[in-house]
Amino acid sequence: MRYIKLPSENFGKFFKSLEAWGSVYAPVKRGGIYSFQEVHDPAEIALDYNRTMLPPKKFFFRPKEAILRLKNGHWEENLEAEPTVLFGLHSCDIHGLKILDRVYLDEPADPYYKSRREKTLVIGISCMPDEYCFCKSLGTHFAMDGFDLFLHELPDGWLVRIGSVRGHEIVWENGELFEEVTDEDLANFKEFEERRANSFQKELPQEGLADMLDLAYNSPVWKKYADICLACGNCNMVCPTCRCYEVCDRWVDAYSAVRERRYDSCFMENHGLVAGGHNFRPTRLDRFRHRYYCKSYFDPSSGYNCVGCGRCDEFCPAKIEHVKVLDEIRGSLE
Amino acid sequence: MNPYESHPARILEVRDLTPREKLFTLRFLDEDLNERFTFRPGQFVIVDVPGFGEFPISLCSPPTRSPIQLCIRKAGRMTKFIHKMKEGDVVGIRGPYGNGFPMEKMEGSNLVLVAGGLGMAPLRSVLWYAIDTGKYEHVWLFYGTKAYEDILFRDEIIHLLKHGSAMGCTVKLAYEVESPSCIYLEQGFSDRVCRGVVTDLFRGEEFDVNRAYALICGPPVMYRFVIRELLDRKLSPGRIYMTLERRMRCGVGKCGHCVVGTSVSMKYICQDGPVFTYWDALSTRGLI
Ligand SMILES: Cc1cc2nc3c(=O)[nH]c(=O)nc-3n(C[C@H](O)[C@H](O)[C@H](O)COP(=O)(O)OP(=O)(O)OC[C@H]3O[C@@H](n4cnc5c(N)ncnc54)[C@H](O)[C@@H]3O)c2cc1C
Ligand code: SF4
Ligand code: SF4
Ligand code: FES
Repeated sequence: MRYIKLPSENFGKFFKSLEAWGSVYAPVKRGGIYSFQEVHDPAEIALDYNRTMLPPKKFFFRPKEAILRLKNGHWEENLEAEPTVLFGLHSCDIHGLKILDRVYLDEPADPYYKSRREKTLVIGISCMPDEYCFCKSLGTHFAMDGFDLFLHELPDGWLVRIGSVRGHEIVWENGELFEEVTDEDLANFKEFEERRANSFQKELPQEGLADMLDLAYNSPVWKKYADICLACGNCNMVCPTCRCYEVCDRWVDAYSAVRERRYDSCFMENHGLVAGGHNFRPTRLDRFRHRYYCKSYFDPSSGYNCVGCGRCDEFCPAKIEHVKVLDEIRGSLE
Repeated sequence: MNPYESHPARILEVRDLTPREKLFTLRFLDEDLNERFTFRPGQFVIVDVPGFGEFPISLCSPPTRSPIQLCIRKAGRMTKFIHKMKEGDVVGIRGPYGNGFPMEKMEGSNLVLVAGGLGMAPLRSVLWYAIDTGKYEHVWLFYGTKAYEDILFRDEIIHLLKHGSAMGCTVKLAYEVESPSCIYLEQGFSDRVCRGVVTDLFRGEEFDVNRAYALICGPPVMYRFVIRELLDRKLSPGRIYMTLERRMRCGVGKCGHCVVGTSVSMKYICQDGPVFTYWDALSTRGLI
């Protein structure tokens, strides 16, 4: 890793320089909600945002997209990735992308996801946790890779970690905007990280989590929560690692059709339905439990399928809290 | 190549197997692909009817024979549509997908195939592969069906009832609904055709559990009974293979529809399966 410094007064110029790379998207605040939008003026960016409603997955795996077009009886693929800069991703979302990478870049790679991933520059930014964040207990509060540049807030600028060759190139091309890092900067960086680490209010004890959940398959706590869950699927839509999709063909006119895919949710009744009406997850309880199992599955190569971003809590209309459910499940075993 | 894009294939023949199932014989338009295309019994393809959609179907012909065949039940919207298609029509095929049965590993052993209803489709691939290659000591096929009209590949089954032993194969049939045709069959092959369920067919059959593998495919309710029968005979859970079904969209581990299991073990039926051992079922909840 290489560390350099971007002084505050150069931030605007640096940001404008990114437009040479592609369209720049950054978090902005609209009507009380943060989202990634195309930004031209750095003043529009909400640098201290907590979380966007839709995670950055929407740039790579779209809420709805046509994957194939049928023309004259032949399928044509619909690859249209544009060079893009995602500015201001938090560490948890970078980890979320790494989990999606494992699924979508694994052979056979999803060509849509892959081409967008290759054409997108990822620039991370440091953050302070709010009452929903629990990334620290999952080890996703700091990203060691998965970004091109990562900006850490300093009193008078940004400590920049360079995470890729592309990151090096950008810094190289804009050499005059950066300075070498001083001992004072490092001390400030360390102080910020310590303050941040001590600011987490929520913790997910992960010791034995996967086993504990499996043992609690019949816990009454599942039912208690499944009863108040509205099965709206919001938690799936906003989760940076949820990536189920449904496919549907649609005729455009008498000669051409498109094959579309869109986000799907394991809370929907037909998620586990097969021909003849047999359903492998017939009840809301089955579906509720399945989501928790999926999120808490531990893959040795990429960790849990949850990065502790807190979106599912913040945007759940029934106010169901992820960590609280898991805590109660654990409690029901003791 | 885009993994979601299918290869056009022409329907060479459509045969009615039962009132609900048709057998489609297909050949890719791309000649090279016909040469290259190979698979393991138990694998499946995704059939693409452009503009209407896709659905997973097991390959029911053996890899030792070409062209490929699919046995498709009219179950809903898309399968109804393909049932209307005729010889000469073109559909898309992508795959083969899934793990299939470990045919090499089982060489030299006895195979006990247990099929219920449509489960006959993937097991037919195993059956003819075993007969064609002659690499297996003996093959039993226990096939449970509702009624005479529902017997899939009826001509082949009757042919094997008559001549199977010369090919190293014992075929047994159980039916649930009585009819004159069934009674006639039962009279002809009193030791191998009976009224009852598929587990009744195990009666009177001895096989060395250390040299046998069981391969099961059928409706979800069947597994429990068949597995109990096999375990009672002391067949090791690692020698019990079964093929499973889930809703599938992508077939390649992306869409998440076929995922089962819990926090300690999650499996994709499309990639980790559709063939699993009974050990897998014991360690992955929700598999069967
Ligand atoms: C590995 C595998 C092998 C199969 N092999 C065969 C076979 O050899 N012969 C055969 O007749 N059928 C087989 N099936 C079942 C077959 O895929 C369904 O009958 C078919 O998808 C029903 O589609 P439909 O549009 O007619 O039904 P609808 O009920 O209208 O289904 C709507 C949608 O749900 C999905 N769906 C419904 N049922 C299933 C299902 N059981 N599995 C996966 N997706 C489903 C389909 O994608 C379909 O688009 C297999 C399924 C799997 C998973
Ligand atoms: S967001 Fe809340 S209410 Fe909606 S499905 Fe998820 S847990 Fe249930
Ligand atoms: S499960 Fe909830 S907290 Fe975990 S990554 Fe998904 S949205 Fe974030
Ligand atoms: S069918 Fe899409 S993940 Fe298995």
